[in-house]
Amino acid sequence: MSISTAPAAEPAAATTPPAPVRRTRRFRHAREWWFGALLVLPALALAFTFKLVPLVRGVTTSFESSSGFGDSSFAGFDNYTRMFDDPMVLASFRNALLVVATLPVWIVVPLVLAVLIHQRAPGWKFFRAVYFIPYTIAPIVVGIMFRQILAPDGPINALLRTVGLEPLALEWLNGRNSALFSLVAVALWSFFGLGVMTYLAGLATIPDEVLEAAYLDGAGFWRRLFSVVVPMLRPTVAYWSVLCASGVLIWLFPLIYALTQGGPGDATMLPEYLVFLTTFQFLDRGYGSAIGIALFVFVALISVFSVRHMFKEGTRKPR
Amino acid sequence: MNRRYSAQIGRYLLVFALVVVAVAALYPLLFTVVSSLKTQTGFARDPLGLPSGITFDNYVEAFKRMNMPRLLLNSIITTVGGLVLSVLAAMLVAYTVTKLRFRGGKLVFLFIIVTLTIPSQAIIYPLYQTVLDLGMSGEYQGLILAYAAFGLPLGTYQLAGYFQQVPDELIEAARVDGAGHFTILFRLLAPIATPALAALAIFNFVWMWNDLLLPLVIMGGSDSKTLMVGVSLLSGQYDVSVPLVSAGLIVALLPVLIIYLVFQRQLISGALAGSGK
Repeated sequence: MSISTAPAAEPAAATTPPAPVRRTRRFRHAREWWFGALLVLPALALAFTFKLVPLVRGVTTSFESSSGFGDSSFAGFDNYTRMFDDPMVLASFRNALLVVATLPVWIVVPLVLAVLIHQRAPGWKFFRAVYFIPYTIAPIVVGIMFRQILAPDGPINALLRTVGLEPLALEWLNGRNSALFSLVAVALWSFFGLGVMTYLAGLATIPDEVLEAAYLDGAGFWRRLFSVVVPMLRPTVAYWSVLCASGVLIWLFPLIYALTQGGPGDATMLPEYLVFLTTFQFLDRGYGSAIGIALFVFVALISVFSVRHMFKEGTRKPR
Repeated sequence: MNRRYSAQIGRYLLVFALVVVAVAALYPLLFTVVSSLKTQTGFARDPLGLPSGITFDNYVEAFKRMNMPRLLLNSIITTVGGLVLSVLAAMLVAYTVTKLRFRGGKLVFLFIIVTLTIPSQAIIYPLYQTVLDLGMSGEYQGLILAYAAFGLPLGTYQLAGYFQQVPDELIEAARVDGAGHFTILFRLLAPIATPALAALAIFNFVWMWNDLLLPLVIMGGSDSKTLMVGVSLLSGQYDVSVPLVSAGLIVALLPVLIIYLVFQRQLISGALAGSGK
């Protein structure tokens, strides 16, 4: 915001005394400010109306007791204290933590695949195109699709039986542990292509000679991956981690909706599905909002780092 | 010699790994396509194998049951509307924050990207209330505006990063030549940022077309509900067979798949450009 970046002064300004110059410049600055304000207005209005206002209303509703269609009354922290005694809520956040714990897999699997493709194996363009296809399919569609694939006598179990792994042919969506595992695996199937694409984009910015040296060097694949490629890809790895950290819970909603509906029991109950269930099925809006706010805090805590990173990237001056 | 030999083996293993993942990525889709071409009895007799005869009855039935043309129209209107609005609003913010002397620009930028941490699931009821209060429940504009708001943070972030790399001198030169702000934004910056804009547009198209929760809650059971809501309702009906659902799924995923295959090159080059930091 220094003087030197101001637009070139108009010729007339050169002959006039300093004071008016400053005044016209200030006037021009003021005009530019108002113009800028006008430009950011639509975005601010959108973010305000559809994000901030609902969030604030959510907070106020969370302090009310409002069930069914009746009137609501102030309930203080009742909804929040109730959460700590509600096994379903506790289970949902425990499951959320379990899902978050799988993040390393989300970060490493696409990275390995991207590096393999980047080595220009025969048909690499085909693989690059194919890997992105699952991501283009709507999660709700993916969910319904996999309900059939994972069915007790579906193709997965048929395959396991033919290769002699009969004991592994489970009722995938019906076991306490296998249900959450299947859910996360399906989610990974649905999103890994985006990661591969992101990493390939990052790899393209690294000069080929550098990578080639790393690829051909005697060192083993994994060592090269973590000691050469990852450090050079740092910004991309950071970006993808950020996206996964803030997104992984959110991405699961349509899959839960189609695959397990939170069951069996509370095995795949996650906060975002519980909010939906409490609010629209049990019509307990106050309690639903309180769980929603808890979810917001949970996601916000995970993505604090992401936002800080994005803010720094977005406001950094190019070198 | 020995080393070359092991390199060769390594190469085969590499291709093998890539093929396994490709099969895993494609098989569910193929399974669904094959199922959709079977008759109901054909599927019951042999759910896994290839169909003995191909039938398109399931597609006809799915079209009839779901009022497909209307659902497609609804999805197109809301997706394109949300996408255009979201990208435009993000462009204006990115320009103001990176290329104008605008006090408070950083604050605006921070506010917009912080809203990324507010997931739709967490605020879904108050969001529904707000849309209802605006009289937009069951209306196209309600969903379009909500889509635009939820697409904003990532769009603003990506475009700001991109605009930042355009040297300020270029902007100043255009300004000295008498170019106005909109000329600079749409005639100078937008063409430079085409790869980023294209990637952003495709990204938005994919998630808006595929989203379930927002249209489910905002459009509900109205005639303006989107294709994804229709698909979720179809699969919930008890008398629906697997081949019929499969046909519905294929119709629902085809538009995005086509868009992807057509714009694949733009998407890749856009993705490449977007991360050029």
